[in-house]
Formats: sequence, C-alpha cells, structure tokens
Amino acid sequence: MKFQIEDVTVYFPYDHIYPEQYSYMIELKRALDAKGHCLLEMPTGTGKTIALLSLITSYSLSKPQSPIKLIYCTRTVHEMEKTLAELKLLHNYQIKHLGPQARILAIGLSSRKNLCVNPTVLAAENRDSVDAGCRKLTASWVRAMAAENPNVPTCQFFENYEKAASAAVLPPGVYTLQDLRAFGKEKGWCPYFLARHMVQFANVVVYSYQYLLDPKVAGIISKEMQKESVVIFDEAHNIDNVCIEALSVSVRRQTLEGATRNLNRISHEIDRFKATDASRLRAEYNRLVEGLALRGNLPITDNWLSNPALPDDILKEAVPGNIRRAEHFLHVLRRLVQYLRGRLETENVEKESPVGFVASISSHAGIDQKALKFCYDRLHSLMLTLEITDTDEFLHIQTICDFATLVGTYGRGFSIIIEPFDERMPHIPDPVLQLSCHDASLAIKPVFDRFQSVVITSGTLSPIDLYPRLLNFHPVVSRSFTMSLTRDCICPMVLTRGSDQLPVSTKFDMRSDPGVVRNYGKLLLEMVSVVPDGIVCFFVSYSYMDGIINTWNDTGILKEIMQHKLVFIETQDVVETTLALDNYRRACDCGRGAVFFSVARGKVAEGIDFDRHYGRLVIMFGVPFQYTLSKILMARLEYLRDTFQIKEGDFLTFDALRQAAQCVGRVIRSKADYGMMIFADKSAGRESLASF
Amino acid sequence: MASRHVTKRAKYKTTIKDPGTPGTLRLTLEKILFVPHNPKSAGKLDVEFRFIKGQKHTKEGSNKPPWLNLTNNQNGSFIFEFENYSDLQYCRDFVGKVLAKSGEVSEKPTVTYPDEQLSAAEMELRIKLLQEDSELQKLHKQFVLSDVLTEAEFWATRKKLLDTEANKKTKQRLGFKSAMISDIRPSTDGRTNKVTFNLTPEIILQIFAEKPAVHRAFLSYVPNKMSEKVFWTKYFRAEYLHSTKNSIAAAAEAAEDEELAVFLKLDDILASEARWKIRRVDPTLDMEADEGDDYTHLPDHGIFRDGSKDMTESQNELYRRTLSQDINRHAAVVLEGRAVDVDLDDTRAVAEALAWSKQESSTKRESDGDTNQERLARVSRMTEIEDLQGPNNLPSAPLCIKDPRDYFDSQQANALRTSGDALGRTEQIKCSLSTQEVYGSLRQSISVIKAMGLKDPIVKPEVAHQVFDALTNSISTTKYHIGKNPHESVLDRLPKKTKDELLHHWTSILELLKHFWASYPITTSYLYTKVNRLKDAISNIYPQLEEIKGSVPSELRHQVSLLVHPMLQALDAAIQHYEADMQKRSTGSVDKPNGYV
Repeated sequence: MKFQIEDVTVYFPYDHIYPEQYSYMIELKRALDAKGHCLLEMPTGTGKTIALLSLITSYSLSKPQSPIKLIYCTRTVHEMEKTLAELKLLHNYQIKHLGPQARILAIGLSSRKNLCVNPTVLAAENRDSVDAGCRKLTASWVRAMAAENPNVPTCQFFENYEKAASAAVLPPGVYTLQDLRAFGKEKGWCPYFLARHMVQFANVVVYSYQYLLDPKVAGIISKEMQKESVVIFDEAHNIDNVCIEALSVSVRRQTLEGATRNLNRISHEIDRFKATDASRLRAEYNRLVEGLALRGNLPITDNWLSNPALPDDILKEAVPGNIRRAEHFLHVLRRLVQYLRGRLETENVEKESPVGFVASISSHAGIDQKALKFCYDRLHSLMLTLEITDTDEFLHIQTICDFATLVGTYGRGFSIIIEPFDERMPHIPDPVLQLSCHDASLAIKPVFDRFQSVVITSGTLSPIDLYPRLLNFHPVVSRSFTMSLTRDCICPMVLTRGSDQLPVSTKFDMRSDPGVVRNYGKLLLEMVSVVPDGIVCFFVSYSYMDGIINTWNDTGILKEIMQHKLVFIETQDVVETTLALDNYRRACDCGRGAVFFSVARGKVAEGIDFDRHYGRLVIMFGVPFQYTLSKILMARLEYLRDTFQIKEGDFLTFDALRQAAQCVGRVIRSKADYGMMIFADKSAGRESLASF
Repeated sequence: MASRHVTKRAKYKTTIKDPGTPGTLRLTLEKILFVPHNPKSAGKLDVEFRFIKGQKHTKEGSNKPPWLNLTNNQNGSFIFEFENYSDLQYCRDFVGKVLAKSGEVSEKPTVTYPDEQLSAAEMELRIKLLQEDSELQKLHKQFVLSDVLTEAEFWATRKKLLDTEANKKTKQRLGFKSAMISDIRPSTDGRTNKVTFNLTPEIILQIFAEKPAVHRAFLSYVPNKMSEKVFWTKYFRAEYLHSTKNSIAAAAEAAEDEELAVFLKLDDILASEARWKIRRVDPTLDMEADEGDDYTHLPDHGIFRDGSKDMTESQNELYRRTLSQDINRHAAVVLEGRAVDVDLDDTRAVAEALAWSKQESSTKRESDGDTNQERLARVSRMTEIEDLQGPNNLPSAPLCIKDPRDYFDSQQANALRTSGDALGRTEQIKCSLSTQEVYGSLRQSISVIKAMGLKDPIVKPEVAHQVFDALTNSISTTKYHIGKNPHESVLDRLPKKTKDELLHHWTSILELLKHFWASYPITTSYLYTKVNRLKDAISNIYPQLEEIKGSVPSELRHQVSLLVHPMLQALDAAIQHYEADMQKRSTGSVDKPNGYV
C-alpha cells in the first residue's frame, strides 16, 4: 500500500498496516526531520523492522537532492539476513510502483568467515584462522613476493577483484550474505573485499553492532561513513552491554603464557630480519621518529584489528622514544607480561582504578603511561614490518597490548578487578585480571556525535527513561507504543506453587531442592502432553539446566517427556546448538512436536525467534537475575549509582525483566500468532506481567 | 453352510458372442455341472471347482445381461447367462465361498479368492491386508467364512483400505522409538556383581544410527578381530564409564585399551557430518555465522566473568560427553527416521544395510544444488508478516491416525482432567424432541441456508466443539472414572483373555450392525436374505456375551457388565427394528401380490 505521511509518500509492501506501525512511522519521521536521535519502543510482533525500512527508504526517495544513507545494525548475522530479506520484499514493491528510480544498493557486511568463497581459506575452523588464512594469501608483501615467484600461492578471487579495479562494482539491488557469495563466485571476485569497498556507495548497509561500536572493528570498517546517515540499532535493549564489552579486556594465565610464546617468536623474527634485512627495521624506526605508525594508506588487505581505544582518544603524536626500537619495545612488553603475571598470583580479590594501576606499573615495571598508551600502535607497526601473516597466532600478545592501551588511555569509567577464582567454583584456581568498562556511554558517544540521526529501538526498552541516562544522550523523540490486540493471542501466567503446593523458585537457596526440580518436571510433563507443536523452556543458567536435566533423566521424567515430544537442548557448542535448532524447527514443521531447552542469557534467547508453531508455549523456569555477587557487576552498580544516580535494585530488576521479556517475547511474531507464557517462580510478581 | 448346492436356469456360452445353450446350472461344493435342456446339444459341462481360479460377473444396472464368467487355470472361461440378477448374485456368492474354501484347503494363509472383476493385484492387496491386520483377519474368518457376510459385502465397507492410493498413505514407516537407548537398564541377578544387557536388533540399529563410530568399529572389528559378544561388552563398559562422569578414569582406561578408546572418544564422524549440515541450516537461525562475526568475543576480550556466563571444566575434553549431546543426537536420529528397511535379526546385516544407505545419502548430498534455493525460501517465509497480506497456502499433510483407539484414549485422559465438569453439563442438555420438532427445525435450517447461502463453517464452531468434547469425554468414560490413575484403563485391569474377547466382540458387533443398518430399507430380495442372515448372527452373540460375563471373577463382573451393556443395547435396537419391520411386512405383504418381499 501507498500512503502519505506529511510530505513523504510511504511505500509499504503489505496490503494492510497495523495502527501502531503507522504511529511509529510518524514519530520516526519527526526524528528524521529534526535530524536528532530517537528512542522507540514497540512490542515484538508488530513489524518494527519493515516499518523502519519502509519509512526510511521512502523518506530518502522523496528527498532525492539530499539522499540519506541507512546504516542498520543488528545483533546477529541471522537477524541481518532477515532484515535484508524484508528489505528485498520492500525493494521489489517499490520498483514495481516507482520503476527504476527506486533502485538502491543494499548490502550486508560480515566477517571473512561468512563471506569468503575461497575453499582453501574456508576450510579453517574459526574466524581468526579464516582471517589469517586470507591474509596469508592477500597481504601486500605476499602478493609482491608472488609477482616474482609464481610458486607463492595467492587468492584467485582477490587477484581477479584487483584486476577488475574500478570495474568491480555491485549493480543496484539487495544483497544478502548469500547473494554476495553467489555474485562473487559467478564473477570470480572476492565478495568480502567487494562488499567492504561497496559499503561507501551503498544506500543501505546492514551489519553487526560491533562494526560501529567496537573501536577495534569500527576503525577499519566504518571510518568513512558520511554524516548524513541514519543509524538504527535494532533489538537494542542490550546495547549497554555491547558497549561495555567492546571496551573490556580480561587477562588470564593462558593469555600470559601465549603472550610469552608470541614474544619469543617476535624476537626470533627480529633476529632474522637483523641478519638478512636490517634496513627494514631501520626504516621503521625512522618512520616512527617522524610521526605515527603508518595509517590510512595501508593496502586494504593489510588491515588488522584497529586500535581498541576510541578515535577521539588516540593521541596524534609520535611514538615515544623508548619504544621506537623493536628490541626496546620487546623488553617493555616482557616486563609488562612479567608484572601482570605477578599480579595474577594473588590470593584475594583486588579492585583498583586504572590510575592506581598505571602508577603501580610505572613504579614496579618502569613503564610510563604514554608508553602503555602506544602499545597497540607500536605492536601493529612491528608486525607489519616483520611481515607476519598468521595473525591468529598472535592474539594473545594483542590482548596484552589492547589492555595496556586502554589502561593507559582511560582514567575513569573503568576498574581493574583481579579474582583468584570464580566465586561459584572456589576449588578451581583460575585467576583472571579484568579491565572492565562500566560506562556504556563511552563506546557509543562517537556514534551519537558523528551521525545525524541514531534510532534505538526494541521490543522492550522499559523503563524508557533509563536508556538516555545509561547511554548519556538526548533523544528528540522518545516514545513507547503499546500493541493493539484484536484478540487474546497471548496468555501469560505466573506459577508460584507446584502441584503439591510447594513454592517453586530458582532462588539460590531453593534451586537444587528436589521438590522444586520435581515440580518443574511435572509442570513441563503436563504441558508437553497438551500443547501442540513447539515448546521453549528457558532456564537461568547452563549449570542449572544441566543439573535439572540430569535429575529428570535419573527420575524418568525426561523419558516421559520424550514420549510426547522430541527434546533438543542448547549447549555451549554453537555448531551443535544450531543443528539442534534446525532439527527442532523440522520437528515442528512435520508435526512431530518438540521441546527446546535453552538458557535465558544464552545466544538462543538473544536472537532466535520461536514464532508461530515453533513456539506455542514458553516456560521460564525462574527469573533470570544476574549473579549479584559478581565483583564486576558490583563495581558496575557502584559506578552507575555514583555517576548516574541509578539504584542497584532498580538496575537489577530492570535487567532481569528485560531478559525475561526478551525470552517470552520470542514466541509472538505477528498478531495472527498466538502463544502461552508461564513464569514458574514464586518471586515472579505482578510486575513482570505489567510489561505485556 | 446354508446350502450345499445351487440349481439355476442359465445359458452356457463358450464366448461372449455365442447366443448360448439354455440349460440348468448346478453348483455343488466340488463341481460345476451344466445340463442343456436339449440333450442333443453339445454344451454339457462337468468341471471340478479346484480348476476354477476366479470369477467375474456383470453388474446390476449395466446394460449387459446377467453374466457370470468363471475362469479356469488354463485361462479358459465359462460364461453363464442367468435369467435375472438375483440368480446371478446367488451363484456368485456360492462360487465365492467355495473358492475361498478351496483356497484354505490348499494351505494358503487365510486367503479368499475374490468374486468381483478383480485383477490379480487387487486380490493380492486383500490378502496382504488380511495378513497385516490380525483383527481384520479374525473378522473375515468369522463372518465371511461362516456365511454371515459375502466377500463383496465385507470389503464394500472397507473401500478405503482397498483404495491403493490411500493404502500407500496408511502404510506408515516405522520410526525409531522415542525413548533413549541409554534407558536400556541392565538386569542383575542379585547375587553376583554381574549385569546382563538385553540387546535386540532394534536397539542395535538405533545404537548404530546414533553413534556412527560404533557402527564403523563394528564393521571393522566384528567378526575378524573380536566376537560380537566381546564387542558389545566393551561397548557397555564404555557406556558405564561415561555414566560415572569420571573423565579421568575414562581417559586412563582408554589409554590402555585402544578398542575401548573408540567408544570413549568423541565421534569424529558426527563432527564431520555436523560440518556439512551446518551449511544447510536455515540462515535465520545460523548462530555459527554470528560466532564468525562477533568481534567482541575475541578470546580474552570483553567481560569474562560477570556472572552472566557459566564456567565449564575443560579438562579431558576428548573423553567428555554430556547428556545434552546425547539427547540432541537422539532426537535428530529419531527425526531423520529409519533409513533401513530390512528384517532385523542379524546384526551384521543391519550394520551393512545402514552403511549402504548412508553411502547413498552421501552421494545424494553431493549432487543437490537446490539447497540454496530452499534456504532462501525458508528465509522469506520467516520474514513475511502473515496477517497483513493474503493467506499463503502452506503445504499440508493429511492426518493419519493409525489406531483411533489409541488416539481417543490419550485424548480422553486430557479431556477428563481439563473439563471434568463439562461432562455433567452436557448430560443435562440432553432432551427429547418429538419427530415433528426435529423435522421442523431441520426445515427451518434448510430455509435459512436457502435464504442466506451456506456459510463457511457448516456447523457452528461452538456446537462442533461441544460435540467433540462430549465425544472424547464419553467414548471410554468408564475406563477413566474407575481407573485409579488416568493412564491406567479399566480394560487393563481385566484378565487379558477377557479383554481381548470384549474388544473382539465390540469390533464384530460393530461390523454386523454396520451391515445390518446399511441394508435398510429393504428394497431387494437380496437385502432381505442378507438381513435375515445378519439377524441370525446377531442373536448368536447374546449367549456369548453372557458367557463372558460369567467367566470373570465376581469383583470385576460389574465392570464387565457395564462394558457389555452398550453392546447389548445396540443389539437390542437392531433386533427390535428387525421385528417391527417384519411385522409391517407381513401385514403389508398383501399389497405386494407379486410376492416380491
């Protein structure tokens, strides 16, 4: 359908529209007109994504003189694919009604792992080895060597792409990752570098949060985005956590051991270069004297992860003299590793501010703050000089340098916490030193500053006034929409007692009570025998889920459940979980019916939809509160209280509720959908229902 | 048997074109005898029944005269033209019975030779159906072979079974059991520490399907390297080690015994299978791709221990296998279904068949190029908002309930639990209507339909729901009102023999009554004889039911009589109707002077 919102003709690919979608679009348009940021909450199952896409594309179609670019950030790759599929639908509709002038270029961007088509590189197991595998074939010095020696392997797809030079462009259209791969295969061009190149020209770019928020990635991918862009963070209820994680580093024993190995290897390389090609090291030294480590004019393939600190906080000056020489820098790093090892040998939990930590490094290891700050850049430069391609082997030393740079750069908003073991498993010594960021507004600040409109939207953003405080920004529009229901398509329930009248709860003192476990089992058993198709269960943690499943298995409850439905379980192995999910859907498709056991803060709860027959019932076994004794959480709560005047209890309840709402919200996709929700915990009060 | 021979006037024809020789056809249990009226004509016939293979006949209502065509085993045929169709039917049924008998005599499994124009395939189908379904076979034996029903009548009510198309659907492939194989509990003799596992080929097949490494090991070790018994002993030893959750002990034992290690290690075949399967999963749930895109979770970046993530012990990864993995694997195998369809008695054969079917699927996997297309289709289906656009026709599979009894029994338990009070209400609604009222309401609704047109749901959903509820509630009410726990039925508490007899009587009474009521109103003499036959059979059942009642112990007698009561009621109704009808006939027969009852 086609309709008018003020001066904009909106093209909407469906015949009907929900009223809340319409008002959502109006608010969104206000924000675009005001060139300001906005915060919009609309429940899941009301078609947020399509409303967003259709308004923004229509908006830029109606103002051809000043086209705006849409940067759409999703949390996960499959949400990216879904967004692009919806955009495709919309694009086809617009082309049908407007003809060729509606053509746009929309691409999804992901890592090499998801875009590479070179079979030898793709054979690698994880992302970092794929990255390294690619670099081994495409780094500038490798290609230079291959030009002289035809026996040096290179990547045919990249060579073809380079040869095509400026002719290598994507014709307008909507490209999912799969489409990009297919296009690359057909043309023989590398889809990854093609997509990286096309990001500058595309009207719509869909990628993951981190490509904008995490300075390590944003520094290489999103450097050149224009200011006239609309940035959307979809499903953004967890955005503060993403921001915090982007600036946090943790160091463990394994990291230090790996870093020591890396340093030995670097030292060998330096010796080798000294013997064969000393001029290179000298050239690097001279370059460092002149200014910053070379940046910007690097070939696209030589880029590695970027500086972990935010662009504004990076000093634009020369690397300090004491780490300019490769050997000196190596010594500094060795001393740093030695110091950190000493700090890890603690028996008590220690908490320190970055300022104090830097002072302590300075007095014990003789490394001053400025040297720490330049660790990342210096390492990067050294590795390029040494022509190291297997970057995946050097992640440990990179972690150390990231840590050093962050500690050297930021004085507040962070704390350093050293724990000798996990609170919950005191018998296993596993010391960890964590640099944890408490201030979510740090990482997102450059995004708010750089782009004209930033839209933060999700199904659950309540209380909506908390987000501007957490992220420290001033939205021009901040609205929360409620869903208008034409019928009772959801049925929320709170269960506080089992069938034997014993209270059920996952509170720490009660959760392993056999009565609670049995009551939970009975509840599920009764549900599987009456609810058709798919059922999803969320537990508060993996360890609790494992325990409860084992108990059910021993007592035979699991066997009885299996008589009604197939059982699938989320595990910490992503591949296995993905396959289990795929099978779960198949079982629901064929009518066999299945139960999926999942974890409230796990990956499945974050991003997988259990809509329609994939989820007719969702059971929350307990309320997913964070582990409140965690030192990091305590430090963060303290910071929030002191800086933003947010009470601890408020934040914890808010966090648990958004998780719970997120879990149960997975079952509704549209108003034609229906489902039932059970909160099985005595402390799940009325308030949790208020969110529906 | 009612009659031992049949004599009818008929014409004998050697071919269809032949005008035919008029004469008398006499059929006995052994022979077919045809004597022409004109002793001089050459049409005399004397054939023994055992040479006759089958029969065909023309149908009433077709333009053809009533012909009966008997084929012998030399592919010759004898055609008889009767004076009317009832003669033909009579002879046809007789022949059918005799043929059925001769079939039995010749030691074939309870088989009958059908009597209509049946092709060999149809005949085979009927035989197969009888062989597969022992209940059907019992009924067939009871009624057709004892002359209560004819072959044609018997099958006429089971057209659905005979429909080859439907037949294909009803034949469900047997899947794996839902229960996990880890549920095989050993039995102990109580005195020594020895445990015994009972392995059936069914379980073995499941083990092979769920654990390809065991399968591979079996193929390579047995019987060259070790005997089957040793193999399975080792397997269960490994399972035991897993169940103790002591990965260190497992690692130690595996180090000593390399064959045992095969069972203890993680399955490498599964791992490689997972790798190609992951490429085909729905992109909307591909979490592996997320992992590949997630730069905040670089090793040691991000927050490592904030209480939201869990710790796992990562020692001896190689020998660690979790219950979750087992459950996922099991469910996946059950979902895939059984690939092999061989007789399960030889383990070796099972193993080889499975290997073969796997090979086949792996060659297929390489050749499929349409997976991408399928993935895309799935994505677009996941993204559309259904209720904002026209309906999408999703593919549907017809519901196939193999044993309705099981279905209703399971529904019963739920229905009772959820709506215990609904039952009381529906009973009060029951009220008696006079014929006029019913007629009036029917006319009214017809006129409404005429005026308004037929609305989409013919029956109002509420009404339909109520009826359906009442049905599920009352279908086997007694079972659950008395059973202590809702999953145990009254029938299960009866001795097995009584239970079987009761169930059998139910089905046979249903069968008889079905035919009985279907014969009304009696319009032909054929139906008249049929009804008489059925009535006789029905009256024979009464004493049998009494006998059952008498045979059970006194504490169960009440239950049984409760169960028998509805049967008796149904039978009584039939008999009453029969007698009323007969009375009407005898008074009204004056009006039909032609004697055509």
